[in-house]
Amino acid sequence: MRAPLSQFGVESPSSLEDALARMEASGGRLTPMAGGTDLYVYLNAGSIEPGRWIDIWGLDELRGIAEDKTHYLLGALTTYSQIRKSPVMQQALPLLVEAAATVGAVAIQNRGTLGGNIANGSPAGDSLPSLLVYDAEIDVRSVRGSRSVPFHQFYTGYRASVLAKDELIERIRIPKAAAARAGASRFIKVGTRAAQAISKVVGAFALHRGEDGKIDRCRVALGSVAPVPCRMTQVEDHLTGQTLDGELIASAVELLDEGIKPIDDIRSTARYRRFVSLRVFERFLQESRES
Amino acid sequence: MSEPKSGAAKGVIGQRLPLVDARKKTTGEAVYTDDIRLPNTLVGKILRSPHAHARIKGIDTSRALALPGVAAVVTGAENRANFGVLPISKDETALAVDKVIFVGDQVAAVAAEDEEIALEALGLIQVDYEVYPAFLQPEDSLKDVADPAHKIHARTVGETNVHKQVDQHFGDVDAALKDARIVRRGHFEFGSVTHAFTEPHCVIARYDTDGKLTLWSATQVPHYVHRALVEVTGLPMHAIRVIKPMVGGAFGGKSDPFPHEMAAALLSMKSGRPVKILFDREEVFLSHHGRHPTKTDIAVALDRDGKISGLDLKVLIDGGAWGSFGVVTTYYNGVLSAGPYDVSNFRYSGKRVYTNKPPCGAMRGHGAVNSRFAFEVLLDEIAEELGEDPCELRLKNFLPEYTTTINEFRITSNGIAEGMLRAMERSGWKEKYRQLPPGRGIGAACGFYISGSALPIHWSKLPQSTVHLKIDMDGGVTVHAGTADIGQGSDTMLAQCVAQVLGLPMSRLRVYTADSDMDPVDLGSYSSRVTFMAGNAARRAAEQIRTELIEAASRLTGYPAEGFVLEDELVVYTPLPRIRMSYMEALTEALADRGALIARGSYQSPPMGGKFKGAAAGLSPTYSFQSYISEVTVDEETGFVKVEKVWAAHDCGRALNPIAVEGQVEGSIHMGLGQLLSEQFRYHDGNVLNPNLLDYKTLSAKEMPEVECILIESGDPEGPFGAKECGEGPLLPILPSVANAIHDAVGVRIRRLPVTPEDILQGIQKNRMERSDVAAKIRVA
Repeated sequence: MRAPLSQFGVESPSSLEDALARMEASGGRLTPMAGGTDLYVYLNAGSIEPGRWIDIWGLDELRGIAEDKTHYLLGALTTYSQIRKSPVMQQALPLLVEAAATVGAVAIQNRGTLGGNIANGSPAGDSLPSLLVYDAEIDVRSVRGSRSVPFHQFYTGYRASVLAKDELIERIRIPKAAAARAGASRFIKVGTRAAQAISKVVGAFALHRGEDGKIDRCRVALGSVAPVPCRMTQVEDHLTGQTLDGELIASAVELLDEGIKPIDDIRSTARYRRFVSLRVFERFLQESRES
Repeated sequence: MSEPKSGAAKGVIGQRLPLVDARKKTTGEAVYTDDIRLPNTLVGKILRSPHAHARIKGIDTSRALALPGVAAVVTGAENRANFGVLPISKDETALAVDKVIFVGDQVAAVAAEDEEIALEALGLIQVDYEVYPAFLQPEDSLKDVADPAHKIHARTVGETNVHKQVDQHFGDVDAALKDARIVRRGHFEFGSVTHAFTEPHCVIARYDTDGKLTLWSATQVPHYVHRALVEVTGLPMHAIRVIKPMVGGAFGGKSDPFPHEMAAALLSMKSGRPVKILFDREEVFLSHHGRHPTKTDIAVALDRDGKISGLDLKVLIDGGAWGSFGVVTTYYNGVLSAGPYDVSNFRYSGKRVYTNKPPCGAMRGHGAVNSRFAFEVLLDEIAEELGEDPCELRLKNFLPEYTTTINEFRITSNGIAEGMLRAMERSGWKEKYRQLPPGRGIGAACGFYISGSALPIHWSKLPQSTVHLKIDMDGGVTVHAGTADIGQGSDTMLAQCVAQVLGLPMSRLRVYTADSDMDPVDLGSYSSRVTFMAGNAARRAAEQIRTELIEAASRLTGYPAEGFVLEDELVVYTPLPRIRMSYMEALTEALADRGALIARGSYQSPPMGGKFKGAAAGLSPTYSFQSYISEVTVDEETGFVKVEKVWAAHDCGRALNPIAVEGQVEGSIHMGLGQLLSEQFRYHDGNVLNPNLLDYKTLSAKEMPEVECILIESGDPEGPFGAKECGEGPLLPILPSVANAIHDAVGVRIRRLPVTPEDILQGIQKNRMERSDVAAKIRVA
């Protein structure tokens, strides 16, 4: 049962600067809330302690999809619905669009934000493997200043990240070069049911071949098979510079098998997660080879 | 859609009509219990047990009572009265007395000015517990308990936690198994599933200055709530009024009288103010009363003529913390399994045990679902082993119509064979079975179900259903009944039955139901009884009014009453159709000098059944029959099952309103697929790990297959206009038909529900390994 709401506090900042100042002043005791799609579930289930929250939903500075010469820029408050509906995203970042379309249901997609998915840090976060494939960089900001973190270095452990207690995610930057060289790609999500399900396995793969037919860029990213969503760099290195054939596919799958550490939990078993990840990856490579 | 055998008469029966409350529900105008706002209402909240089994050494409520805004607190120490839905196992109290027996058991209840104060007050109640060992596995509850104080309930079989034991034997099963051509055995395990209705439980109790208690509650059976309130409050029955507002789904989960209803009444009597208790979703899950998990051992024998000669069933039933409907469940796991087949030897041994988990109760298909699954899967295995068509095997074994089963059920109308043949034809069964490509499969299964229980649970000579009608000079027809429309459409059904007899459009009907002060007693919405019983009562009441209107027409015209009929708001003398008058003219004459027309119709089941112990269980004035064929695709890399299409033949006697019947069939399929594929309570130390609709996975619209309803209208001789039930039977065959289709697709047999993609994948891998072993052996040879 949930705790009385009177034991919770919410602050409503008027601007990004105001929000950062309040976070600094609180000494790290304010937790940001955006769409609230994770928070409200915890609140209703009574699984969060009473505390203080800062509602950043109203900060338009953090909203919207834009681009500069080198990058696509997604404000931290960009919702899954905005990503799904954006022609730029559909054309340039199809894996992210596909991931956004599988999050919860439409009501969740209207409120849930990309920044929230990153900050919440669930290894099952639907958008995260796609961001890894596109070499996303995370711009974070505090009163102390701004910095940019490559997304594959963002998490330090289960639901732990480099984000300091006074920092907010400001935007996600995706290099246009990475998007352009994604090549053949595949998003996978296996849940308990076809919609409104937390993933048992989530992943994104991309494979680009040069004119000589050799693989010149490759990304293998998986969620729900380790404490953090992660890139399987050993597999990527193994494939890069090679030509896809049966032997290479078999050895790459073997390397992936060694590289993942799925667990048993309420949603699935380690055995199942391992099998499905490997088979879907293998199928992706085989289809890429044939195409 | 088949044509009714009786030849469609004019009128509203058989028409595809929207439910009478559909507009209000879709616009939000409908009033559910939580929509009711009485002045000065307090918010009631319940403190629940954190322990699966513990003695309450003491409760200190003084700090809660001292909190400003708290009006009343009650605990079990103040009211120890027992109640329960079945008179033979009343083991519940409003609030826990002396000990708690599951996580979520009600320990204390608070009424306060608002929700925040009530929640804060709960936190101020100090409960001192002595934790007892918990019985969480049903096998543990079979054993003698060393310390009698640790028994979950005092009244059990010996020193165990066995609540109810049933043993029945008809014919000679051992001989049948011995002489059989083939015997197939299986051990099946079924998880715990719950109703997942939309509307959480909600109740408002108002004890007023006249000393009268009114209770509004989301219930399926206002009458049983009424009876339980008498026992708990000590008030005379006539001082209590129970009203059921609009209900947002129930499926059996609102058919018991509930402790929170009792707690609300006690809080209102203590505070003198109305008290509302609305559950959150976690409380709905803890309150549960869902399907009983079972461990089912079964043997099926087929003799040399291809007839089912033996059915041997042994079932261990996990009842959870209370009795609820469990005595009935214990019988139903056995007695509802043999039909729809003509089984010549049948034995059943069932044990229901108490465990320290949320209580189980009645849920759509009550007691029949798990045994049905096991039986239908084994029939498929027998057909496979003999190289026979499983549909043909079933056709050879169906009960005929108008017969008596081995356990002395009276079978009347029965359209199961027609249903099987139609489903086979529509699905292209003969071209598909064992011939679809890998990963695609088709399967069949059947079922039957009671259409109301012939014997009421409270022994009494009162009718099971009574309907009152009133027509005054405005020409509107008012229907009063104690029936509970819980979304299934019983108000619409009553209006249709009356409108049909009186030749009136639905717009003249006004239906008022489920208010104990205003409406005659009805035994409520469970055991699929309402259409059959209350429908008959409504028809009988309307027939009396029809007679009065015809007599009035006869007086006015001078023609004999025998020739008149009522149709299209006219009273017509059929030998000379120009002799006619409007309904209003006949009514005005009928009302002259005496006022409103009043009529009462009632229904009572005819005597039936055997004389042996437990003979009454499963007796029904008629039974529905189902034959389903399902087609599936199984993804061999993820183990994901997609049910592509279901051909669902259901013998409902007569479809009074085909869209309502189809809705019941489709809803049953959705619910059954959830139990088969994804729904289950997950426990840790007696705690429910997934008490919410995110982690407890009902199927979404995306998983729902296309359903082709094949309505079989066998025309029941005793049903209203030939109708019988359609709310529960249609759930039974969906689980085994899909399980059999999964086997046809990927060769995996299912022994445990829910069957997850993990299980199916493991089964596929195991088969592959066995196949490669065989291949290796062949190579070696």
